[in-house]
Amino acid sequence: MQATTFEHAPMIAITALRVLVGWHFLYEGLTKLTAPSWTAAGYLKQAKGPLAESFRWLASRPDLLANADLITMWGLTIVGLCLILGLFTRLASLAGIAFILLFYLAAPPLIGYFYAIPSEGSYLIVNKNLVELFALVVILFTRSGHFAGLDRIVRAVTRRRPRLAEA
Amino acid sequence: MADEDDARTTETPAAAGAPPKLGRRDLLMGLSTVPALGLFGYAWRRQQQYRRGREDAAATTPAAVAGLQEINVALLGAGAQGQVLMEAMLRIPGVRFRAVCDIWTEYNLRRVVNTLKRFKQEPNGYADYREMLDKEKEVDAVIVATPDFWHARHTIDALKAGKSVYCEKEMSNTLEGARSMVLAQRESGKLLQIGHQRRSNPRYLHCYHKLLGEAKLLGRIVTVNGQWNRAVTPDLGAPDRYAIPDATLKQYGFKDMHQFRNWRWYKGLGGGPIVDLGSHQIDIYNWFLDAPPSGVMASGGLLYHDPKTHEWYDTVMVIYDYDTPLGPAKAYYQTQTTNGSQGYYESFMGDQGTLLISESELNYTGQLYRDPNAPAWDEWIQKGYVSAPKEQEVKEKSGSGAIADVRESVPPDQHTVPVSLRDPYHQPHLQNFFDAVRGKAALNCPAEIGYESAVSVLKVNEAIEAKSPLSLKPEDFKV
Repeated sequence: MQATTFEHAPMIAITALRVLVGWHFLYEGLTKLTAPSWTAAGYLKQAKGPLAESFRWLASRPDLLANADLITMWGLTIVGLCLILGLFTRLASLAGIAFILLFYLAAPPLIGYFYAIPSEGSYLIVNKNLVELFALVVILFTRSGHFAGLDRIVRAVTRRRPRLAEA
Repeated sequence: MADEDDARTTETPAAAGAPPKLGRRDLLMGLSTVPALGLFGYAWRRQQQYRRGREDAAATTPAAVAGLQEINVALLGAGAQGQVLMEAMLRIPGVRFRAVCDIWTEYNLRRVVNTLKRFKQEPNGYADYREMLDKEKEVDAVIVATPDFWHARHTIDALKAGKSVYCEKEMSNTLEGARSMVLAQRESGKLLQIGHQRRSNPRYLHCYHKLLGEAKLLGRIVTVNGQWNRAVTPDLGAPDRYAIPDATLKQYGFKDMHQFRNWRWYKGLGGGPIVDLGSHQIDIYNWFLDAPPSGVMASGGLLYHDPKTHEWYDTVMVIYDYDTPLGPAKAYYQTQTTNGSQGYYESFMGDQGTLLISESELNYTGQLYRDPNAPAWDEWIQKGYVSAPKEQEVKEKSGSGAIADVRESVPPDQHTVPVSLRDPYHQPHLQNFFDAVRGKAALNCPAEIGYESAVSVLKVNEAIEAKSPLSLKPEDFKV
């Protein structure tokens, strides 16, 4: 069996990337949690692109919207915590990818689209959401939590003695 | 070093034989990113401190004033507007929520109570306002944010229970209702503030007291123009599983859940856009002109929305006559709900200048134009009452290629109102109410003023139905 080798410099870089993305998630989540009554309604109502209708429909349903708000606030916070700590890194990366994909799809910078907000930067098809999404793809595939993160401890503690029968 | 890593992270048969062990290196590497979380916590705390500091500095009164008398508050009506008021109140020091009441217990009530708990408030939830008034003896003030047709009953019962009341505008959907509120206020001797929140907005106060009152920058106001253009918005829905039982809806005067959610459009419940949107601005007309209107003519219609679910006019255009202390004036107002461009503002035009002001400072900065024939404003610029004039763009350079005609008036200098509101729109008005409850201020919009505005606005719907101008006498505005 081929051994998994971690080359140090790239793994440190990817771990740093993971911590930075996690930091951003955590702050986005906590900011929403601590605002008196944050809601995604405004963002959803502004949605453009192929899924715009679905997002607007979501914004018009108070029950679904309340759930979506809760999932977003807590989801971002938990994903952020996990990414920083390197805990359940792959699951957190996947969840993070799902979140950003939704954010991207709600406001894709497609050809001929103009947005009043956000006002910073200039984007065509690729925006910072997409870049962060692919940063998470890299984190997903490189097992950075097993290199530096609580996953490493979890793994060491839960590793079972392999069954002899398998040999 | 790399070798040791390899050994730990490899599922080779050789390694498999050894019992699992948590090595020192695993522990170190495993915890290596935890300090980043500490750093985040530190940055978060500093950021929160900074934000709180800025909020305190921007607040109308400094937070945590020593010995501030705490006011116990009950929120009656926890829908969209109730939540707006709640958010503003959470920023005001010395306010404690004791109770929240809403008949939509499964949604509004739960949402607001949960939000308040996050802010270390422990309000009791009620579906029946009478039960709340009976049980919550400690409550000093009730904030009424229920549908318009409930305002009179809720306000009067709260006043009778010995509470001071902040009641959302429109004071009532009927003149009898509004009148009975004024009488109940007088009888109870308690405070009644009506929620025309621009009356406490520092920008509007600056315009009224400094620009119009002291500096008289506009000279004599002869024409007024204002509007609230709102884009088409879909009807509010409600999920079946949160629906209020039919019997409860009927008990509180609603036909069904759709009507409960969209009461503003129904006759007998609300007053339509002219009341919901117009009353704020028509109230400012009366205030700035120092008089209620002496006549009104209006045209309105349901031009766009579905008449099955919309009873009130979606489009209204009004012309008021005023006999101001300085002479006659005419004021135009329109509200429409099919196009939101150019939003909402009030524009006062005098023989010496123009003031274009809006609650929405983001869209209208508070432009002031000095008529070229008017005396210089240098004194007021030096005093900080108005900003220095902005250089007017030369038309030929504007890129449109348009050329000014010789008959056009010389463009006036443009200044701006140099006062900003950095709090939520309703906060200063609520603050004024709480200050009055503490006996430290006079109400900016007491019941009598609210009644004047209610008459001015409700008469519009009457004039539309009459299809002819109505003349209004000063005694029409008195109770």
